[in-house]
Amino acid sequence: MDKILLEAVALTKAFDGNVVLSGVDFTVHAGEVHAVVGENGAGKSTLIKTLAGVHRPDRGKLLIEGVETTLRSPRDAIAEGVVVIHQELSLAPHLSAEENIFLGHFPHTRWGLVDRRRIREHTRELLKRLMIDIDPVRPVGELSIAQQQMVEIAKAISFQAKVLILDEPTAVLDESMVSTLFDLVAKLKTEGIGIVFISHHLEEIFRIADTVTVLRDGSRTGVSKVSAIDQDWLVARMIGREFPIHDVQVREFGSPALEVSHLGLRGTFDDVSFIARQGEIVGLAGLIGAGRTEVAKAVAGIIRPTSGTIKVFGKAVRLRSPNTAARFGISYVSEDRKTLGLLPNRSVLENATISNLARFRKLGFLNRSLERRYVKGAVKRLDVRMSGPDAEIRTLSGGNQQKVLIARALAVEPRILIFDEPTRGVDIGAKSEIYSLINELVRSGMCVILISSEMEEILRLADRIVVLRRGKVAVTLSRDEASENTIMRAAALAE
Amino acid sequence: MAALIILVIAASFLSDRFLTPANLLNILRQVAIVGILAIGMTFVILTRGIDLSVGSILGLSVVIYAGLLETHSMAIAIPLGLLVAMAAGLVNGLGVASAGIPPFIMTLGMLSFARGLAFLYTGGTPIPILNEAFYDLGNDYLFGIPIPSLILLAILAVSAIILSLTAFGRSVYAIGSNEEAARLSGVPVRLYKIIVYVIAGGVSGLAGLVYASQLSIGTPIAGQGYELDAIAAVVVGGTSLFGGKGSVGGTFLGTLIIGVLANILNLTGVDPYVQQLFKGALIVVAVYFMSRSGRS
Repeated sequence: MDKILLEAVALTKAFDGNVVLSGVDFTVHAGEVHAVVGENGAGKSTLIKTLAGVHRPDRGKLLIEGVETTLRSPRDAIAEGVVVIHQELSLAPHLSAEENIFLGHFPHTRWGLVDRRRIREHTRELLKRLMIDIDPVRPVGELSIAQQQMVEIAKAISFQAKVLILDEPTAVLDESMVSTLFDLVAKLKTEGIGIVFISHHLEEIFRIADTVTVLRDGSRTGVSKVSAIDQDWLVARMIGREFPIHDVQVREFGSPALEVSHLGLRGTFDDVSFIARQGEIVGLAGLIGAGRTEVAKAVAGIIRPTSGTIKVFGKAVRLRSPNTAARFGISYVSEDRKTLGLLPNRSVLENATISNLARFRKLGFLNRSLERRYVKGAVKRLDVRMSGPDAEIRTLSGGNQQKVLIARALAVEPRILIFDEPTRGVDIGAKSEIYSLINELVRSGMCVILISSEMEEILRLADRIVVLRRGKVAVTLSRDEASENTIMRAAALAE
Repeated sequence: MAALIILVIAASFLSDRFLTPANLLNILRQVAIVGILAIGMTFVILTRGIDLSVGSILGLSVVIYAGLLETHSMAIAIPLGLLVAMAAGLVNGLGVASAGIPPFIMTLGMLSFARGLAFLYTGGTPIPILNEAFYDLGNDYLFGIPIPSLILLAILAVSAIILSLTAFGRSVYAIGSNEEAARLSGVPVRLYKIIVYVIAGGVSGLAGLVYASQLSIGTPIAGQGYELDAIAAVVVGGTSLFGGKGSVGGTFLGTLIIGVLANILNLTGVDPYVQQLFKGALIVVAVYFMSRSGRS
């Protein structure tokens, strides 16, 4: 626990003049679990990437076992014993665990063939030492996510890794898998490996970490032994600043537009209930993987829930498809523009009208001038900047693409509109335009469901916030009760 | 388009027989069968699919026309032949859209299956067609234009209207551009994909009609390898194999480019084996230039 494996001194990194890491010190000892926490955009991933040789720091230095080192690439970092286990694993799914572990450095027999016997012996020994219980000859694609993670960790250890960086390893695991992973981490500690642990779940920090570093806006706002602090200490340092007052607009809410009761989808979310009224913005908050998008997709008719009911304007409905949902006045703007939104090589006009072509028909044929009129109006209302309605949508900026997809959702003339991360990857100007559009929509009586990982966004816009945690409603907060603190606690902490 | 004009100008210099009305109409008649197949193929490729079975479906329809015409009238033979062709397309569509079998595999299976049916139906021996009116369909002229060419132009016109002016046509492009996004936008993706394969099958039946009447014989090997000629015409015509981009007008131009090239090589007496080299090179070069201009 004494030997310093990795030491970063005053790391500073800027992208295009935007400082994302400023003067951060960071140390990993042998046999230590050092957690890094912070909100999205606090600089966690930049710190990791700098330690892993992806980015080179503008200022500051990196010492590995006391020797100043420059890492030019992830390869360099691995050669120095610093290995990152990413959330998306990089295993070959059709190969077995032992083949994956030795991929790229297979031992050979003297005939030049792969020495299968040596691979098998090494693997069994390694897995036994780490107390990992998996079948080394099964294709890893057939293993659970948690077991795959362990194969990846075993692989890193076989590379003589000294420092393992686990980037949100628990985000994709359920509770029992988390325990198994933590057992492995404990075992690695006794082997003298230094572990950097990233997680949004604060309770996990207290379960497993020895030391914690808090980042906010690219700076280190706290570092401590975990035994000396509590959750309040962490949350205070993560949030830090005073939050601007919400744009409270006193509005009259109408009758319930959407009533979701005891909605469940096996393995994804369970017993989710909430009501959203006309003119109201209901926020769905929670960590990534808490089930927000899945609940939204169930309401939008994209996935079918296995239990519970949905009522739209008082009437129980079964939403079999996005089409049925649209007929009941429900429209959805996806978080994943690229795979679920854009028709990339089609025009702005076609992208905007595809959701409701029936509306733009005359005598059975599409009428371009009707389409143009709609698109022109939407472009003006949303201030879409483009060369013209016939421009391919992929030539537009992210913000303008998003506005076109909002125009598409509005083309079905919805009464309930679901926005899933509406401002992800858009610039600040487009963001404020999207906010004012949402405000305008609810003033005219629309019911809006808003999913956002940005605290500021959800606090500013939502009249009521449903916080989900691991597929269940943790708490429902009114505008007065909601704060970064209360949401974060509900989303990330165990009771 | 520019490529076709250059080709036509070059052709008219290379042979003074090229720019005669008789020769031009001859080209239009010669390309009719592959041109018709290529239009059906365009629908499928626009959805990011492929249909390898159009040549075999053509062959199946040809033997059915011939077999039925032995004992029945055209009024029975033609609709039934078309129906069988559309049914084969329907099976393709169900396999692709409902069972989720990759289009390449599904239609490869149909390529073999439909051809096998054609052989079974005939017992391997061609069936002669003696019906005079049926013969005229493939060989006569209307308003001085060969009837097969008129059939091609009619199919082209109807297809162009469907693709550019109907919700179905617009959705075909959307499915090829991003199937998941189209589904989320409420496009009935499964149904439309099935329809696209039914169109390709039905259109193959029409091409079979032209084939059977031109040759007056129902041979089970009719249309072997035509699927590749059809794909070549689609691709040379600028439709992307990755879906969502292209038009039947482009496919028609692609058909003409390949047809004009074959014609001029014939007129100038180039060895038929060498002609194959030209055709192969043309396909690759055409697509190379198009992919470059499309990217920048």
